[in-house]
Amino acid sequence: MMDFLKRTVGLWIPLLVVAGIAAYPLITGSDSNREAMFSILLAIALASSLNILLGYTGYVSFGHIVFFGIGGYAGLYVMTVLGWNIWFAVLLGATVAGLIAYLLGSAILRLRGGYFALATIGVNEAMRALTGNIDALGGPIGMDVNFSLYKPFGGPGGMLQFVFWSVVALTVLVIIISFVVKKSKFGLGLQAIREDEDAAEDMGVVAPRAKTWAYVLSAIIPGALGVLFFFKNGHIEPGEAFRLALSIEMIVWVMLGGIGTVLGPVVGAGLYQETRKLLLTNAYLKNIQLAVAGALLLAIVLFVPAGIVGWLRSRNARLRKVLE
Amino acid sequence: MRMRSVALAAALLMIMSVLAGCSSDDSGSSETTAAPTETTAASGGETKTITVGFTTSQTGKYNESSTRQVDGFTLWMDQVNAAGGIKLDDGTTYMIESKTYDDESSSDRVQELYTDLATKDNADFLISPYSSGLTAAAAVVSEQYGKVMITTGAASDATYQQGFTKVYQIYTPASRYLTSSIDLLASLDANAKKLAFVYENSKFSTGVVEAAKTYAEENGYDIVMFEGYDPETTDFNPFINKIEAASPDAVLGGGHFQDGSTLAKQLYEKNVPVKFISLLVAPPEPAFAELGDAAMEVAGPSQWEPLVQYTEDAANALGMDWFGTTGDEFTTTYTEAFGDAPSYHSAGGYAAGLVLQHAIESAQSIDPDAVATALDATNVVTFFGPLKFDTTAESHGLQVGHDMVVIQWQPGSDEPLAKQIVWPEAGQTAAPMYPRG
Repeated sequence: MMDFLKRTVGLWIPLLVVAGIAAYPLITGSDSNREAMFSILLAIALASSLNILLGYTGYVSFGHIVFFGIGGYAGLYVMTVLGWNIWFAVLLGATVAGLIAYLLGSAILRLRGGYFALATIGVNEAMRALTGNIDALGGPIGMDVNFSLYKPFGGPGGMLQFVFWSVVALTVLVIIISFVVKKSKFGLGLQAIREDEDAAEDMGVVAPRAKTWAYVLSAIIPGALGVLFFFKNGHIEPGEAFRLALSIEMIVWVMLGGIGTVLGPVVGAGLYQETRKLLLTNAYLKNIQLAVAGALLLAIVLFVPAGIVGWLRSRNARLRKVLE
Repeated sequence: MRMRSVALAAALLMIMSVLAGCSSDDSGSSETTAAPTETTAASGGETKTITVGFTTSQTGKYNESSTRQVDGFTLWMDQVNAAGGIKLDDGTTYMIESKTYDDESSSDRVQELYTDLATKDNADFLISPYSSGLTAAAAVVSEQYGKVMITTGAASDATYQQGFTKVYQIYTPASRYLTSSIDLLASLDANAKKLAFVYENSKFSTGVVEAAKTYAEENGYDIVMFEGYDPETTDFNPFINKIEAASPDAVLGGGHFQDGSTLAKQLYEKNVPVKFISLLVAPPEPAFAELGDAAMEVAGPSQWEPLVQYTEDAANALGMDWFGTTGDEFTTTYTEAFGDAPSYHSAGGYAAGLVLQHAIESAQSIDPDAVATALDATNVVTFFGPLKFDTTAESHGLQVGHDMVVIQWQPGSDEPLAKQIVWPEAGQTAAPMYPRG
């Protein structure tokens, strides 16, 4: 038992952090806190997903938000047009995102470095243009969620609760996936690809296959989150679903916390979102909140390039054992 | 790609968006709100404060329009406070206070911020963000907390067809944006039957032209072209060639300011022989006159114009109540406060406050249910025009009283170009010029 705990301590720390975030609105009983924690958890789950590709495999996806949007569109379509239940819609969102990642990955993961990053931006933009031209998905107008769809949850209040706890569950799931991948032979293969793809192939890692599965794994949870977010949001349109700025923020969350670590995206996304919120709602800073956030970011990138968790790990051997 | 360079690239992109945000912030910022002068309440009664909450797009693509909307609302609030607040018959006086956060022109945090407004800041009433997309997200929250939300700058019909019960629209909905232009054309020329629609592929403009197309077909028009363009389009030649080939009598469409003015300019340069042009959003903007000759005789629908004169007498003649300030007073006080003439977004913001005040005074209460009942019964004429809300379950809160006016640029007496109201006939400041050229 002790041995198991010792081996998985790197998993328990991020899970405890998430549990704390999830419990905070429950303890305070405040809807306002629940919404704030929702934004943080969403960011954590998105960042941890991206980390599988960006952190472990070393492939930079500048357009990762595409899977969030695809999931949102797939889920809202089946719910509003075909009348599916939300559980099936979430499953479908995850599946469609995974499937598209598989097909895309087979094609664009042949590209390396900057070329791959550029291709991912192209995919995001292409998807936005495509959804804007499909009449069944509402074209440029998008789709709205009828208020009656919130009735099964006991109105919007119950729906907001439901979505919050679903996002908590998905965040826990993605952290477990992230930890398991990191500790597995598959994850070792990914890390070998990150360090030197040619050498990894020489050592027997089937790079194209490993990379594609890393891409799929990093796409599934964003797909499911997209369904939940846009269902809660009540509305989806191409510009909001495939917002490139959010893609860039995702990378920032991972880099800030510590790339390639399990805890890093949790810390990075959490701190970043909380700081943004404080700046946004602070009476003195709200007019310059973007400038302050940008300056903070630049300082971190210049002085702590390994991210917060990476920096802690490099400082202390004991921390290296407990922080994954 | 090394991780450090990735980080730097990401940081640079962030900084770029920061700079973009800041520069657009400058254009619309106007901090010079007239401070409430006297706040002494009427003697006897109790003085309380009403908090009105909303988000502003202080950064991002909606900054310009959103700022004007909030300026309009702030002017209303300052005027009410300066006049001693809203007084009820039981002697209670309500002063108005506003609470706002930056929504960054994106729906990411709209629900979070509206939840803050509704629960932490205890806003009694809500005003919508700018744009239909953000409003749809905010409406879920306002409905959850049973708050009345007056929407302005949110024209899309769909938002009001989702079953919300306390959301009320100030703007004429998108489905009726271009129908007045078609009515105008019908009154001018019974033989002009061929229409071409060229429009921006965006939520708003697509909603507008789809409804206009249906309306035109019902009225016996022949749609010879119906084509959308990308919001970033700068070269309209392929579309203009198609228009020439289809030889329509009128071109309708456009989208927002940039694309609409470019389209008008290129139509002029190519000397396309159409008798009538009506475009969304761009023509009503004063800056449209900078196109010079290309702006001449171009028409467009507007929610409100300083020239529009809705008067108390006209309202009484129709058997309707009149409420609030006059158009001239609004234009003068707004220009004094913000150093810039009001646009229809500003007027919408002011009208949102006005409608709220009217409902509170009719209800003699600030209880959300009582105010909602009063809003359901609202049938009033203001400087913004008549306002009345749909009360059916299918599209509750949809604006049914207000109508768009159609403006047209014509030769002015002092300056080369002047904006004239050409429709409805009752409000004409000049006869429409038809056909073009």
